[in-house]
Amino acid sequence: MAMKYMAPFKWGRREAPVRQGLEGYPIDLFRGEMNRLFDDFFKGFGLRPFSEEMESFGAFSPTVDMTEDESSIRVTAELPGMDEKDIEINLTKDSLTIKGEKKTESENKDKESYYMERSFGSFTRVLPIPADINPDKVEAVFKKGVLNITLPKLVKEKKAQKKIEIKSA
Amino acid sequence: MANETKELEKTKDTAEGVVMERTKNTVTYTPNVDILETKNGLEITADLPGAGENDVNVTLENDVLSIEAQVTSESMNGYKLSYREYGVGDYRRAFTINEAIDGSKIEAKMKDGVLHIVLPKAEAAKPKSIPIHKG
Repeated sequence: MAMKYMAPFKWGRREAPVRQGLEGYPIDLFRGEMNRLFDDFFKGFGLRPFSEEMESFGAFSPTVDMTEDESSIRVTAELPGMDEKDIEINLTKDSLTIKGEKKTESENKDKESYYMERSFGSFTRVLPIPADINPDKVEAVFKKGVLNITLPKLVKEKKAQKKIEIKSA
Repeated sequence: MANETKELEKTKDTAEGVVMERTKNTVTYTPNVDILETKNGLEITADLPGAGENDVNVTLENDVLSIEAQVTSESMNGYKLSYREYGVGDYRRAFTINEAIDGSKIEAKMKDGVLHIVLPKAEAAKPKSIPIHKG
């Protein structure tokens, strides 16, 4: 069968990739992009220079959103096709590590691939947590390929606002 | 490298060359897709994180297979965004399908945010080996 019959409409459009949604909060997007750039850059200073970079090139790395309110921090990650058994979440005092491996759907023999956009492999994401967390009450739910971690803040984190009187001299 | 993130659907430059306008105030993403061919058919796998089996619509109309998924975002009420790498929105993508596909036997499965569609080839399009007889 000729390839052109199956060619997606957007064939060949990927040379100018849009990394994430460009709508909405430009400053958050910019900050996220900068953080990722730094992460990617400093990853290269490990024990094996470049090797990690080479291995991880084109490999799967989940995208993460973080939202926050007064009582908790919520981290969501897109992990389509993964199983909750293959995901490991670790919490330290000030960081959250999401680790896992996204495996290829097996039985690829006898199959000729036309078009591959999805990526696989193992990944580690370390996210700094900007508040003190109650580690006993952290909850993680994996549903429809989206991981949702709720990290309740320690109560003392609530800062009481104090108004300071100005005296006239 | 950028392959793992979703790509925003372009509203201009569609196949029909029409600028689409939408009635809903949501964003639409183009999901990442793998296409494989087997002896018996084609398999399309699409990443649709956040969509369940009831949110996805797969339709075949005039040789165009379209995948559409509505993602209901968990409301952000009370939460403020502190870090963002992906956006939540609907998915849409369409493919032109060769008529050699048996449209009545297309099967689709949805698991963990991944849609898997099997498109069996029509009998006439399957490879046949022709025996060669001694002359």
